Amino acid sequence: MLSLFVLSLTLSVPLILAALGGLTSERSGVINIGLEGKMLVAACITGLVGMASGNAFVGFLCGSGAAVAMSLLHYLVTQAFRVDHIISGMGLNALAVGLTSVLHKRLTNPDFTDRIPGFPVQVYWVIAGAAVVGIAWYLNRTKGGLRLSAVGNDPDKARQMGVQPTLVRFYALVATGLFCGLAGSLIVTNAGSFTENMTAGKGYIALAALILGGWRPLPALLACILFGFFEALQIQLQGQAILGVDLPSWVWQSLPYFVTIVALAGFLGKNQAPAGLGRP
Amino acid sequence: MKKTPIWGMWLFTVGAFAFVVAILVLVKAVPLETFSGMVTGALGTPGGWRGTLREMTPLLILGAAVFLALKAGLFNIGADGQYTVGALAGVATALAVPGPLGMVLALGAGCLAGALWALPAGLIKAYKGGHEVITTIMMNNIARFLTVALVAGPLRNPAQESATTKILAKESQLPILIQDGPFRLNIALFLGLGIVIGVGIWLRTTVSGYELMATGANKRAAEASGVSVAQTLVKAMTASGLLAGLAGAVHVLAYENRFYADFSPGFGFDALGVALLAASNPFLLIPAALLFGAISQGTSAISILGVPKGLSGVLLGLTILVFAVFRYRKETPHA
Amino acid sequence: MSQETPAVQMTDIVQKFGSFTALDHVSLAVQKGGIHALVGENGAGKTTLMKVLYGALKQTSGHVELSGRPIQFRNQAEAIQNGIGMVSQHYAIIPELTCLQNLMLGAEPGWAIPVKKAEERAYDLASKMGFSFDWNSPAAGLSPAGAQKLEILKLLWRKASIMILDEPTAMLSPSDSDALYDSLKSLAEGGATIIVVTHRLPEVMESCQNVTVLRGGKLIDSRPVSDVTTAELANLIVGRSLEIPTKEGFLGSNPWLQVKGLTVKGDRGNEAVRNASFTLCKGEVVGIAGVDGNGQRELFQALSGNRKPQGGQIVLAGKDVTKEGQAQRIQAGVRQIPEDRHAEGVIEEWSLAENASLGLQRHPTLRKGSFIDRKARLDFASKIAERFRTKHSGFQKPMKSLSGGNQQRFVAARALAIDPKLVLAFQPTRGLDIDGTQQVYNALRATARSGGAALVVSFDLDELLEHCDRVMVICHGVLSEVPENQTRDRAAIGRLMVGAEL
Repeated sequence: MLSLFVLSLTLSVPLILAALGGLTSERSGVINIGLEGKMLVAACITGLVGMASGNAFVGFLCGSGAAVAMSLLHYLVTQAFRVDHIISGMGLNALAVGLTSVLHKRLTNPDFTDRIPGFPVQVYWVIAGAAVVGIAWYLNRTKGGLRLSAVGNDPDKARQMGVQPTLVRFYALVATGLFCGLAGSLIVTNAGSFTENMTAGKGYIALAALILGGWRPLPALLACILFGFFEALQIQLQGQAILGVDLPSWVWQSLPYFVTIVALAGFLGKNQAPAGLGRP
Repeated sequence: MKKTPIWGMWLFTVGAFAFVVAILVLVKAVPLETFSGMVTGALGTPGGWRGTLREMTPLLILGAAVFLALKAGLFNIGADGQYTVGALAGVATALAVPGPLGMVLALGAGCLAGALWALPAGLIKAYKGGHEVITTIMMNNIARFLTVALVAGPLRNPAQESATTKILAKESQLPILIQDGPFRLNIALFLGLGIVIGVGIWLRTTVSGYELMATGANKRAAEASGVSVAQTLVKAMTASGLLAGLAGAVHVLAYENRFYADFSPGFGFDALGVALLAASNPFLLIPAALLFGAISQGTSAISILGVPKGLSGVLLGLTILVFAVFRYRKETPHA
Repeated sequence: MSQETPAVQMTDIVQKFGSFTALDHVSLAVQKGGIHALVGENGAGKTTLMKVLYGALKQTSGHVELSGRPIQFRNQAEAIQNGIGMVSQHYAIIPELTCLQNLMLGAEPGWAIPVKKAEERAYDLASKMGFSFDWNSPAAGLSPAGAQKLEILKLLWRKASIMILDEPTAMLSPSDSDALYDSLKSLAEGGATIIVVTHRLPEVMESCQNVTVLRGGKLIDSRPVSDVTTAELANLIVGRSLEIPTKEGFLGSNPWLQVKGLTVKGDRGNEAVRNASFTLCKGEVVGIAGVDGNGQRELFQALSGNRKPQGGQIVLAGKDVTKEGQAQRIQAGVRQIPEDRHAEGVIEEWSLAENASLGLQRHPTLRKGSFIDRKARLDFASKIAERFRTKHSGFQKPMKSLSGGNQQRFVAARALAIDPKLVLAFQPTRGLDIDGTQQVYNALRATARSGGAALVVSFDLDELLEHCDRVMVICHGVLSEVPENQTRDRAAIGRLMVGAEL
């Protein structure tokens, strides 16, 4: 039972970090289906640089830098060129899948058989926990947090009150990049080596958790842990009956997505999306 | 707000191109050789053409599916999942009912599965305001898990190592029209072309097509013109799913002839790129699908040169971004 | 009158937009510590003048002084730093944020917000004004009056000493309006300078010290309220009674549109139209006079089937259509010339030909079964372009290639083209010259006479009096008929429009 608990937490930490990345972006009004791509790039670069340098910190720094760069590309396209947020997110994800595949295939050192150097996973746990509390505080208790919510809900009115929406979104997307960087480097550290498309939809699950949590940090955290728990159950039980119900594993795997759809359909209370999502 | 300067867009385009070249240099490929290799590999030989047209076929139908939804103002990111369930439904039906009748039923089953997979997204969008992009992404993942489970379980061919279905009998497959050495042309391509042209004509000549496009162009004006916007959204999403499901069924009946785990290589996402490139003209789906098919086939061809196939992802992603910068900017809100 | 330096002194302000002169050498002096009313009809230049004052517009010429100090603000932020703030008609309140967050936004007390201290200050400000707020509840729950109060507190939070309120009572009920003015009076007594832009004369007479009248971008008069009567003020606002051509009055006898007890809710949940009952006879063109925002929009939406009424009945040509949707009403012959043609009247990216059938796409003459009859549509497009001489460069060109006036000609012609039984025209001559206006009304009249009726909303009373068979007045959602003996009495109708007693 304890191992199930630990496994749930282990599986949920990357989700929490990615969900926080989604939170800063979406609370500023930028729809972010590009989380997946940003995490993937971070995982790949962390792996490649970590391998080449043998230094966990350098690897992490470069991986996060790459995720921030992706996020800034997102900023450029959505804010300077005012491209539709969904199209740009799709483009980023396609780019990330292709780019990491090319880099991984050609630049991976075949003689390197060790695990990629990384921080102990506990470091990420602490960061994730602290970040959730920190962001919850930031949103409610600081000038920056207030302005972030204002821009995310109504950029025009925020502008009337003397807030610059593009500046707020710039910082928000840098934060998104950093969180995706953390998530990506954790994923590759956990696995020990990079494999193609290794984020395997975690970015979308994180997005689902964010929606389920009503775009608020603490509920999003709980949703991530719940999703982590579903996954852990599925791994540990492998088709055994739970409470006398024998659910096939695909149902367990799909549960996070299914719950999110039910939430979107309005069966779990009012839709609390930031009102300014996707607005220029 | 200021208008985006046009030179900025060109600078972005040049930057994107420079990025591709830089990546090629980084992975020690010669850019010029890579590009010419891609063109020859995709369009220079009969075998290349065969591959390009094969890749193009699902993109045509899926492109039409995404285009149709886009014209109603909906992003059907779920085309990939609808395609996957359509393919599986097609295989399962064709395996159960042999012969040409089974083939026809399989196409119908693909349509039905795709339509049902899209329906929740349409309903939630129209009546609850839940964003179709999120619901369809979720449906994509459920589709993946469901189909993997089915092909690993009840539909699995026990004679095979990996999770895959039995191969369809010859009579159940869509026929090959032309076979000439390495060149081969399946009837599916013409089916795809027919669907694109059909969707294009329907949108442009019928009253219901007109109302669908009015909904996508300006919801308030459509409502004021007596169009039921909610119903139109549901119908458009369902029709889009129907076509995507059909694309899956056609693909298995014509080319793959079986279903296996993680069936879609991301056709549904490429199709979004195809539809975006076609912009406002449905008939431009044909060259756009050809381009994406050629990129896909071309990158396969140059993998011999040591350039990984992932290059196609880089090219597709950047093509979408560059094109979006020119074409899909949001209007500045009226003061 | 006291001779102290005015708090606000605007001198010879000229504001031009292209060739159009919105303000023509207007001067304004506002004394400290009082409520100054700025009155005039729509388009008189009131809001423009205020925008110049707080820096949202840069005047073409003229200058502004605050307490004798010349100033030129580049934006609103600068204005507020100098103690001038404006509450516009469209509140800058974000409903998802709490009241306290809205209060602070843009003027937060420090990087990390000292919540306790901020709350205390908010309570203080509110209690000084006699307001009470649940500061930590979302602003979405605020009533229109509550939102208005919050906007005023936002200015106080920023320590504004000069406050401009644009139509502060437009959304408020009479009792809320009274309460608002009570608090404004106490603010003024405390030394604040308040400028109120308004249409409503009773509140001017009751609560303001001075009044300035603008008309057509020109300063008409400025004097203490004690020196003027409501009737005089109404005459100053609408100008000397013009010679109204005595038209041959059209007397309909055959009831065509009958509306009984219609009540319609607005977007904010207020009763935008209250218990409206009226009848249009066959052949009539009837105008609805009134100041913008008094329920005209909601009335039209209810008549076109775009907004469900709370109660009442709509009967068109003897048939109860209250329950019918938009499509069925279009089929029954209801046509619209919408107010906001960008949003509702046209699809700007589409061609003229495609726009020609918008709203009429299911009419039998424009289709063959399920298919669009392209030839008929093209003929139709050329017919309606011809009618009011829309200038265009081809029917395949996008609608956005047309100027606003030409788009309006096109939209008006489309509404009048096929089987119109009831035409709902909202400001149908917006952007048209005299010639175009004449043509549109002639066409409206011809359409009505040939077996229908037309209802026209305009904010220009002269236009309605000149062109309509009769005029009704809407004020605060209440629709009233003009008494028999005053149907052509411009001043009397003007008084009804601003809620004054006859």
